[in-house]
Amino acid sequence: MKKHILLFLCSMALGSLAAQTYTSTMSDDSSRLIQLKEVLIKSNSKSQLQQLINYYKFNNAATLEDIISRLPEVSLQRRGAYGMEPSIRSFSAGQINVTIDGMRIHGACTDKMDPATIYIEPLNLESVQVQTGNNGFIAGSVIGGTLNMKMAVPDFGASKNISGSVISGYQTAAQSVYEAFQLNFKSGRMAIRGTGTYRNANNYRSGGGQIVPFSQYEKINYSLSAKYQLNQFTTIKTDLLADDGWNIGYPALPMDVGYAAARLGSISLEQLKNERLLNKWQVKLYANTVHHFMDDTHRPNVLMHMDMPGKSKTLGAIFDASLKLGVKSQLQLKADGSSTFLKASMTMYQPWQLPMYMLTWPDNRKDQVGTGVVWQLKTDSASELQFATRIDFIQSSLISTAAKDQISVFGYSANNRIDFLKNISVQYSKKVNVPFKITSSISYSERIATASELYGFYLFNSNDSYDYIGNPSLKNEQAWQSEVSGIFNNKYYRFKLTTFYAHIRNYILGTINPAVSSMTIGAKGVKSYQNIPWANMASLEGSIVCRPMEFAEIASTLRYNWGAADSGEPLPYISPLKNISSFRIKYKAYSLQVESESALSQNRKSRFSGEDATAGYFLVHTRIGYVFHFKGSQFQLQSGIENLFDKQYHDHLDWGNIPRPGRNIYIQTKLIF
Amino acid sequence: MKKYVLASLIIFIASLIACTKEKEQIEQDPTLGLIKITEGYANGASAKVVVYCNNANISTGYTRFYLALFDSISGNRIEDAEINLTPKMDMGTMTHSAPYENPSSTRAERHLFPCSVTFVMPSASGNWTLKVDIKNIGAGKTGSFVFPVTVSDPVLSRQKSFTANHNGAKYFISLIEPTKPKVGINDFEIAIYKKVSMMSWPADSSLSVMITPEMPTMGHGSPNNVNPIHIQNGHYKGKVNFTMTGLWRLNLDYMSGTAVADTTQYFDIEF
Ligand SMILES: [Cu+2]
Ligand SMILES: [Cu+2]
Repeated sequence: MKKHILLFLCSMALGSLAAQTYTSTMSDDSSRLIQLKEVLIKSNSKSQLQQLINYYKFNNAATLEDIISRLPEVSLQRRGAYGMEPSIRSFSAGQINVTIDGMRIHGACTDKMDPATIYIEPLNLESVQVQTGNNGFIAGSVIGGTLNMKMAVPDFGASKNISGSVISGYQTAAQSVYEAFQLNFKSGRMAIRGTGTYRNANNYRSGGGQIVPFSQYEKINYSLSAKYQLNQFTTIKTDLLADDGWNIGYPALPMDVGYAAARLGSISLEQLKNERLLNKWQVKLYANTVHHFMDDTHRPNVLMHMDMPGKSKTLGAIFDASLKLGVKSQLQLKADGSSTFLKASMTMYQPWQLPMYMLTWPDNRKDQVGTGVVWQLKTDSASELQFATRIDFIQSSLISTAAKDQISVFGYSANNRIDFLKNISVQYSKKVNVPFKITSSISYSERIATASELYGFYLFNSNDSYDYIGNPSLKNEQAWQSEVSGIFNNKYYRFKLTTFYAHIRNYILGTINPAVSSMTIGAKGVKSYQNIPWANMASLEGSIVCRPMEFAEIASTLRYNWGAADSGEPLPYISPLKNISSFRIKYKAYSLQVESESALSQNRKSRFSGEDATAGYFLVHTRIGYVFHFKGSQFQLQSGIENLFDKQYHDHLDWGNIPRPGRNIYIQTKLIF
Repeated sequence: MKKYVLASLIIFIASLIACTKEKEQIEQDPTLGLIKITEGYANGASAKVVVYCNNANISTGYTRFYLALFDSISGNRIEDAEINLTPKMDMGTMTHSAPYENPSSTRAERHLFPCSVTFVMPSASGNWTLKVDIKNIGAGKTGSFVFPVTVSDPVLSRQKSFTANHNGAKYFISLIEPTKPKVGINDFEIAIYKKVSMMSWPADSSLSVMITPEMPTMGHGSPNNVNPIHIQNGHYKGKVNFTMTGLWRLNLDYMSGTAVADTTQYFDIEF
């Protein structure tokens, strides 16, 4: 009877853990790991079951954005069909770290068209880690947590010397194609992995049939990774990744991207010793550059043509080590440094006049060194304590005369600023009885303002129609946070509920500056970044994964976010109650999935950010899959209908109320050899 | 090992010292960056006069001259002289003068005597001459040198005039700074002269000035400008902010106490 009630509860739950995308291992309480790795390549054991378990198979063409948007902690701010900006529990931009294998990368777009998440294709992704609360700041002083994308590594363990896969797909909503391949080569102590992905999408069709202009994009992504085993414990690895995008439309913005290019490279040395003290360590050196060229030549009624190029360069080094202090005690050490250069400009053209030029990001550099420690201590068989701390020294500087001259316009000091950031947290978890575990944590963390918040120069925000101006004297945001989560775990299901509360001092917000006139034609005015005394945020996240029968699985996630400024006004970009639920059946070579995605209306709108209320929506997606083997190769066929009822809708976090894609039928094939 | 460290430390410090060692001070040519316009003799003062300007082309508006004087026999520099300018324009039916500034001291400034003339119209309407009266203090002799000046109108005018609403007088405004405008905060300087008669154009300090920059093509202004205030000899100094390059219009409102003198004039700057 009890079992039946639980089953009933599970199926009642409205949402789901993003179905096709990941098998969640909810082992750690403050961090969430999503395994996307194809089992075939990951390990030698190629059981049919494992392959079927892999949700990812359901939609090979899913972008990383599709995947992370299913996580209960993550929301996306959408400005176009591509390049959505991730936020963790309504923390975004400089409040969170978005890293690739721990490496920092800064977008080159002043309009945030290029979050780091666009550079990783699911094909070169091994896992996504979301760290909040207790551990959120370990990779870098931030208040909102860390989203790390771990890149797939060459596989020594593959059964064949050469293995790989080829994927091809088509989607109707944007008449888009998706082509990708992945190759793994191993020989002796050496393994090499290469991937290539091509995507090309036209303007998509929204619910009801309307075409959304300027939602097209085209991109290519390639990666090469080589690993060499120096000895039994030591490996050296190098990773190269390149991403090029062309003609990427942003319907919610006044400009598109003509061309954007990112180049990432790293070399790392890793040692895995099961020695008593120094368990393992890793050193990584990395460099990356991003170039970004915005384009308005395809837009109608452009009053004045403009060019907006931007570039970013980052160099960095990371050292990680894990130490076993004893049977019950473990220490993780991290030390890292990085230097990020940014420059962006805008040039406007008026016939018969000299070009109008200004630096939207005056040439600036951020140099950072930091170190963090996590100490885990098992106090008894059922409980564990975890202490974490991190400090960062950050120097922010304007590095050209033109940049310094420009900041003088507002009477700001062009001197370097040096910040010392401090973070600390403590977490306690206890197994109350066998299937139930409760974890609570409290933390204090700080973050420095971003380049836009410090030095931005008339950055037009098309969502509220204000020009934003940086303020180099901004104080650091300081957050006190607490998080409590409970996990209930048994053979049939896993249930997790987390609540979170944050009190943020010196919250950075754009506030109207009536003394300054706007630069952008049509802008309502100018906002300067200021510290408001405080803001509060809270969230509730729940997820259930249950397998009532061997061949059926239900997954559901629920999230609710809340945020308010000291004035009582709601904060902007706060998601309403949202739920994603999916029900999957796998039988022999066939699989079937029905997924629902729903959001309540959001009436807590941020008036000072020009938000309006957003209606709720309910969507249904269906997916089917078929797998067969042929001469040692595996062939997968997938198809599905997203937004089955062709609902016209947009999310509260979508800029410009641009409707999202309507009914989308897709078909994909994948060959694994 | 220790030895090497020590040795490299010594080399490092030595190179630091070598680098910071002061370079010998070579006196720079005082006319560096200036352009020679003309030269001639001030008969009676036994002086050779060489005339320099900032630009080869003289345009309407405030124009700085730098005079170098040499003993006409020995060729030695004359460092002490009393200099008086008389600009004159012959328009056929009439002649008139223009605002000018004599060197502020009888002692040369880095071997040169800086002075200025504000050409109120281009040579197209007549012929400009500049007469330089020189009293060679060392030799106790007096003489003068007259030379023609060709004045053209620049693309963007740096010289404006208006008839004041409050007293009907004619005022001439010269834009002096910025000469090299940049994005950011710039020095702003104008000189105001009042035309009393054809031959008398004294500096005026009675007006107050308000500056409002705007980009006419985009319809925006700029923040944190400082209204120019009178410093001396009709020169008003303030600050102007440019938030971007391009064409800027500096609107200037002139007041006499609470009475409006003029609000119609502006200067355009493009860079
Ligand atoms: Cu952009
Ligand atoms: Cu402008």
